Amino acid sequence: MTKGVKLLIGIVVLIFSAAVVFAVIGLKKSESTWVEIVQNNKVIYKLDLSEEKDRTFRIEYPDGGWNDVQIRDGHICISDADCPDHTCIKTGELRSENIPIVCLPHKLVIRFSDEGAGK
Amino acid sequence: MLKKVLAVTLFLSGLMFSGGCSEEKAVSEADMSSSSRDVFAMDTFMNMKAYGSNADIALSEAEERILQLEEELSVTSETSDIWAVDHSSGAVVDVSEDTALIINKAIEMGNKTNGALDITLYPVLKEWGFTTGDYKVPDDNTLISLLKNVDYSKVHIAENTVTLPKETEIDLGALAKGYTGDEIMKIMEDNGVSSAIVSLGGNVQALGSKPDGSNWKVSVRDPFAPDTDMCIIEVADKAVITSGNYERYFTAEDGTVYWHILDPKDGYPADNGLVSVTVIGDCGLDCDALSTALFVEGYDGAVDFLRSDPSFDLILVTDDRKIYYSSGIADCFTNISSMEAEVISLD
Repeated sequence: MTKGVKLLIGIVVLIFSAAVVFAVIGLKKSESTWVEIVQNNKVIYKLDLSEEKDRTFRIEYPDGGWNDVQIRDGHICISDADCPDHTCIKTGELRSENIPIVCLPHKLVIRFSDEGAGK
Repeated sequence: MLKKVLAVTLFLSGLMFSGGCSEEKAVSEADMSSSSRDVFAMDTFMNMKAYGSNADIALSEAEERILQLEEELSVTSETSDIWAVDHSSGAVVDVSEDTALIINKAIEMGNKTNGALDITLYPVLKEWGFTTGDYKVPDDNTLISLLKNVDYSKVHIAENTVTLPKETEIDLGALAKGYTGDEIMKIMEDNGVSSAIVSLGGNVQALGSKPDGSNWKVSVRDPFAPDTDMCIIEVADKAVITSGNYERYFTAEDGTVYWHILDPKDGYPADNGLVSVTVIGDCGLDCDALSTALFVEGYDGAVDFLRSDPSFDLILVTDDRKIYYSSGIADCFTNISSMEAEVISLD
């Protein structure tokens, strides 16, 4: 085996491992679950549910009112709110790309976003 | 040895090339940029998505139009056309072209569906509490007396003037969102947008196809599990509009479930075998009106309608958990539920 061939093999192996690493990174990203929390057309959170720690946080509505957003085991829902109808809580966990969690009185929407929506 | 190296190199470059293809596709999709807009109007959540360079202008115009239509058609806003008509005590009322057009369509659809669509049911709907959320089961005498004033054929319309009998009130809730969808599509086209999709509280309407030329995938909710999808259909340039018993309902103390789509015949929730009706067609207004009317008519009435006008497609779900869909969408219908699905037989 000449030096040239060894070098070529080395380069090929290097390129291949780099490609594998990139592919794995790429795949991981597209499989992750991105959601956005939008208040009256303004994206206030963009979260990767596969990376998020379990937590609950409150979103205040500027004209008065609040919604508690809960993240648990990679799922998101509205766990509590002071809106009159509680439709947002009844919706439960976000599951479908076509069915967002909506709080009409507080103009709040939680939905899967384009970045790796699982497709 | 050299051959082996070459083979490996070729194989690897092949791998990388295939990776490159999908990268390229991602880039070209990003070029066709999309804009999205949420609108909170007509007591529902609306989302519009449009593609291309004029998308933002079109979306802003569409949003304005939605708010204008809400103002004209709202049954609760004291400055709306409908409020004026409902509080006219029998006098002649001038209305906008939009309002006149929708009322004319409502009368036409009432005639076509044996009165299954009746915009004068509003006082009955109020009595049930479906307009406020203070639900109650009305007693029979109240219903009988309210039903005396329910008859859409008594709505008199001449050009842009409307006259109602004194005790009669109308509500265009069964048609307003469908018409709004049509108007949004017009605005998109006027702005040179050729690819857009809107969801108006679950009513979906699509302009053209997706920017990559493929059809839009529209899902329909499972009436027995309304937080999940039941089927997916692929469409271009169509409205896909559903009326379901899961949209607004309440459970009475005795456990009976009452929903908001009422039968003009007895003023009770329409219970003629269907729990969800989806109408697919070119015109949002037609589809919206029909989805309500065919829900009221039940399976046989819906199939009779399909026979008389095959330009529409239907997806019906019966209360014994079966899906029936028309043959026109057989190629683009995917059942993702545990229910059985079969093509509607017109023989």
